[in-house]
Amino acid sequence: MSKCCAIAFAVLWIFRQQDPRQIVEEAQRRTTSQSQRYEGTLQVVDAKNKITEKRWQYERLGSYGSSKSVLRFTAPAEVKGVALLVINHTDRASDQWMWTPAINRERRIALQDRSTRFFGTDFSFEDLEERDTDQFEYKLIGQEPVDGSACWKVQSTPRQSKASQYTHSYVWIQRDKFAIAQIENYSKDQLVRRARYTDIRNDQGIWTAHKIDMHDLKRNSHTILTIEKLQYNLPMKDDAFSLQALRRES
Amino acid sequence: MRVIVALLLTAATCFGQAYTQRGFIETRGTFYPQKAAIDPAQGVGESLFRYEGFYRPAATLQIAGAVDVRIDTHHQVGRDFKLSWQDREIRRPVSEVRRLSGIYHNGPLTFEVGKQFIRWGKTDIVTPTDRFAPRDFLNVMDNEFLAVTAARLNYEKGANAIEAVWSPRFTPSRIPLVDQRWSPLVPQTEFTITIRDLRASVPGGPQSGIRWNHTGPVEYALSVYQGFNPLPSFDVVGTNFTPEGVSIDLQRFHSKMLMAGGDIAIPTPLFTLKSEAAHFSSSDDRADEYALYVVQLERQSGEWFFVGGYAGEAITRNGSRAATFAPDRGLTKTLLGRAGYTIDANRGVAFETAVRQNGDGLWVKGEYSQAFGQHWRATLNLTLIRGKLGDFLGQYRQNSHAFLVLRYSF
Repeated sequence: MSKCCAIAFAVLWIFRQQDPRQIVEEAQRRTTSQSQRYEGTLQVVDAKNKITEKRWQYERLGSYGSSKSVLRFTAPAEVKGVALLVINHTDRASDQWMWTPAINRERRIALQDRSTRFFGTDFSFEDLEERDTDQFEYKLIGQEPVDGSACWKVQSTPRQSKASQYTHSYVWIQRDKFAIAQIENYSKDQLVRRARYTDIRNDQGIWTAHKIDMHDLKRNSHTILTIEKLQYNLPMKDDAFSLQALRRES
Repeated sequence: MRVIVALLLTAATCFGQAYTQRGFIETRGTFYPQKAAIDPAQGVGESLFRYEGFYRPAATLQIAGAVDVRIDTHHQVGRDFKLSWQDREIRRPVSEVRRLSGIYHNGPLTFEVGKQFIRWGKTDIVTPTDRFAPRDFLNVMDNEFLAVTAARLNYEKGANAIEAVWSPRFTPSRIPLVDQRWSPLVPQTEFTITIRDLRASVPGGPQSGIRWNHTGPVEYALSVYQGFNPLPSFDVVGTNFTPEGVSIDLQRFHSKMLMAGGDIAIPTPLFTLKSEAAHFSSSDDRADEYALYVVQLERQSGEWFFVGGYAGEAITRNGSRAATFAPDRGLTKTLLGRAGYTIDANRGVAFETAVRQNGDGLWVKGEYSQAFGQHWRATLNLTLIRGKLGDFLGQYRQNSHAFLVLRYSF
């Protein structure tokens, strides 16, 4: 009896894993944390292989649909203090404000402006959002290895309520770690951005890519984000993620 | 001065991680192709060193400080080597405390006291509700904000924020020097007229204001300000006829001002609509009573950034003052535009323009900027000004210029 149950559960588990929404939700669940902080180094490599380096500090409170994050540039010197506040919502696109110390003013990043590159990097403002699974429809395309790791390939399409520059994306999720290995973002039928997630390490029980290579196919440039000093579940206060915080701490 | 700079730099080492700093040193060379009637100089050189430090002794407390040290070739900067606090000098001070404030925050409450920058409003170029933001208008078109000495209390809860400001000392905007090319008092006749600016006693009373801001899908704010106009008006206090010509003595005054206004930002699928409007009244009969409004559209697309709009004015009462210097009003009844293009991570171009609706004034600016490595940036600016003598923009038609700025940031 118990053997039959075990087989039944195994079959159910396998079946469950083939449900693309379950796969994505499991990947989200495994990376859920109360907070996150890291220092990022960005190498922007243009089409002529010229490299520009930038650095930022990133802090996030909460996870996915209900999270808030602040990103502050620390280098180069001329952009030190420039900051971006992102307030994610479960049912709609995030709210974003950018603080520029030189003019002592914050500017709201409107929804239609989110496809713009973020401060000369190959990340767009939209790429800095954290997306909630409920805002997308999912379809399992199949299985495809990335960098030698077996992955599920899932197509995600934004629901009507979610305004996005991308008509659909393909997400590769590692089968063993449920870590994202690659994302390809499409505008209609054209591939516009590809993000490769490498150097995946276990940090405090969470599999995290320490290197994200975002490739802008239109410009043929790419930005390599290297994550350092990563910490999860640090105590953070809600009031550190507000417009006033953006202003007083930059 | 060197001692102060040395102390500030040493502070970085002493305070360790609780201390952050930034700053730059820049040199600017400006070339005017045309000589002005009262100012034959065509080349101006200036250098500025700015240092900003932030010390956080506790999680809820921060002290922010900044100093400027500058020098120039054209005597727009004074030659008195004392550290300035009040920003009331006619010329830019050689060294000044640009900012020095303490910030305490606890939950939704933020309290800042000291010399600080306070910005209200949402629009660009003309910002009617931005009342605690006096500017340095020595060069009129390339102006910088001045800090105000004030106490600011902000309560932010969810989508709403209320900010109350009280400033015990009035900080006037710095206006162009009367003997230099940006002077708003250039004689408009063929006779020899000498203008003497007898200065003014700066008003001593406090200023206060309150602003409520809501940040939902549509962002809007209402604000009230009571204080003084940071921009001066002029009264004629004496006229002397001499064999050489006429000498006119002017006295500056800053009239009392009561402002009630609001601003709004509405995102639409194609662009963001931003608008700002305010009415200005005064108990001083010499001052005009008027309303300013701005409507602008904003859009980022690819590597482009566009802002276009219109600024308008409606005068509800004419004051008795003889003249006024008011760039905010001078840029009304005007179509305004700004565009920027990011070439790559290091290079960008920007264009700005203001065209009077009656065609009497035009201002066009083009700027190319390039970063070199992690610290250096060069900016080349070309500004064209055209128009009629009686127009706010047109009066500066001899001041088209080009400048090159080389900045080292740290």
